[in-house]
Amino acid sequence: MKYNLWFGVYDGKEVKLSENFEESFLKAENPSPLPFNVSELGMQVLGEDYYQILRKTALQVSEKQVERELRREDRYVVALVKALEEIDEAINMLSEKLMDIKAVKESDITESFESKIGELKELRREVEREIEEVMRKIAPNMTELVGAKIAAKILERAGSMERLVRLPASKIQVIGAEKSLYKAFARMRRGKKAKIPKHGIIFLHPFIRTLPKSKRGKMARFLAAKLAIAAKIDYFRGEVDESLYESIRKRYEELRRK
Amino acid sequence: MRELMRNVYLKDGTLVTKSRYGSHYGEKVFGGFREWIPWRSKLAAMILKGHRLKLRGDEKVLYLGAASGTTVSHLADIVDEGVIYAVEYAAKPFEKLLELARERNNIIPLLLDASKPWKYSGIVEKVDLIYQDIAQKNQIEILESNAEFFLKKGGEIVIMVKARSIDSTAEPEEVFESVLKKMREKFEIISHGTLMPYHRDHIFIHAASRRKAKTF
Ligand SMILES: C[S@@+](CC[C@H](N)C(=O)[O-])C[C@H]1O[C@@H](n2cnc3c(N)ncnc32)[C@H](O)[C@@H]1O
Repeated sequence: MKYNLWFGVYDGKEVKLSENFEESFLKAENPSPLPFNVSELGMQVLGEDYYQILRKTALQVSEKQVERELRREDRYVVALVKALEEIDEAINMLSEKLMDIKAVKESDITESFESKIGELKELRREVEREIEEVMRKIAPNMTELVGAKIAAKILERAGSMERLVRLPASKIQVIGAEKSLYKAFARMRRGKKAKIPKHGIIFLHPFIRTLPKSKRGKMARFLAAKLAIAAKIDYFRGEVDESLYESIRKRYEELRRK
Repeated sequence: MRELMRNVYLKDGTLVTKSRYGSHYGEKVFGGFREWIPWRSKLAAMILKGHRLKLRGDEKVLYLGAASGTTVSHLADIVDEGVIYAVEYAAKPFEKLLELARERNNIIPLLLDASKPWKYSGIVEKVDLIYQDIAQKNQIEILESNAEFFLKKGGEIVIMVKARSIDSTAEPEEVFESVLKKMREKFEIISHGTLMPYHRDHIFIHAASRRKAKTF
């Protein structure tokens, strides 16, 4: 019988000490309860420091695991953004129906509609808060640049942080405008003139929206380039780089003055 | 000031643990004590309702469902010469638990699924106490398998049961009855009770192992 222990492998007689505790810690699985106490055996091998070594190993392993797990939270955001869109649709649909009903007759039922719509709006706020919270954690730089809402929508379209960091800035720039982009290409293939869209979701950003039309393309290109960098920092390091926001604000001021 | 358990006191009507550490979850800290908030910690509620655990301070504890470490932090004050293996599978609360584990030297944090005890069978030793607060439908099965892997002969168990997570449609009383019945098949019940007014529709069950001596 062989026992996999966090500090090595035990064959019932001898312990083969692991060369890398973090590795053996992750492989310390056994199909059934051990017929001995792992800490007693461990103290024979590692001495009095047994618990300190165990604690250090557990901390190192779980610090890495938690980081990896948190990155998986990008899928959570993707699901939340999708849900948010559905909630919006439901709110719009119910509001329309409510108006239709009201137009014909004022009745008690309209109050029920109103309270349901109110509940949905509250749910919407909750989902938004959650998105904001998770985005601040998994994509602090993107959130800093364009806010949690836009950043989350971009992430949703990309599908995951992993895919997002592989997108070129030119793609990020038109994310969310795919439909008009394909239409334009289709027209061009048919030899017709077409306008290529210059911005997708990022158009929602005030730094683009508040510029004169002629300058929006430039700003969109700049912002997309910075977003691409921000996504990479978020994914690979996770620390906030203040200079990113500074640079887009400067560019915005420049374009506005020109 | 009245001592209720090792390192647990009632100080001017407030439950506290003796601690040399700072605040972990917003609880007040004063003169070497940390306020133990019963609305935040079910173990605190259980103690305030008059139930005690006999702890010497050097126990080995397996804690299932550690979350961000609210209760773990106080339990670590109590078993200050022991070790707590703190299992939690959600990364978000675990981050906070990690902060706690970095500060204390008697907490071993494990980001693992408590329903798979074999995965940590080569890490966790035989323990004196299993504490479980995981709010899962199959929490008793999870408890049983962990007890089989890790509970010493004569070891004790404390579990928190939330009626709604076992069965969201049945009456809480019915749920608790069936949970107690299941528990009696495997363990010796020491005591049980509600956590009102601190936690609605929750009970705690304090039990002990009933197994024959093993080789360890
Ligand atoms: C009610 S909270 C625990 C609160 C904590 N015991 C305290 O008092 O500070 C339940 C926790 O159990 C965790 N949990 C649920 N099922 C689990 C499982 N199978 N393995 C590990 N953790 C689990 C949840 O992620 C959640 O953090």
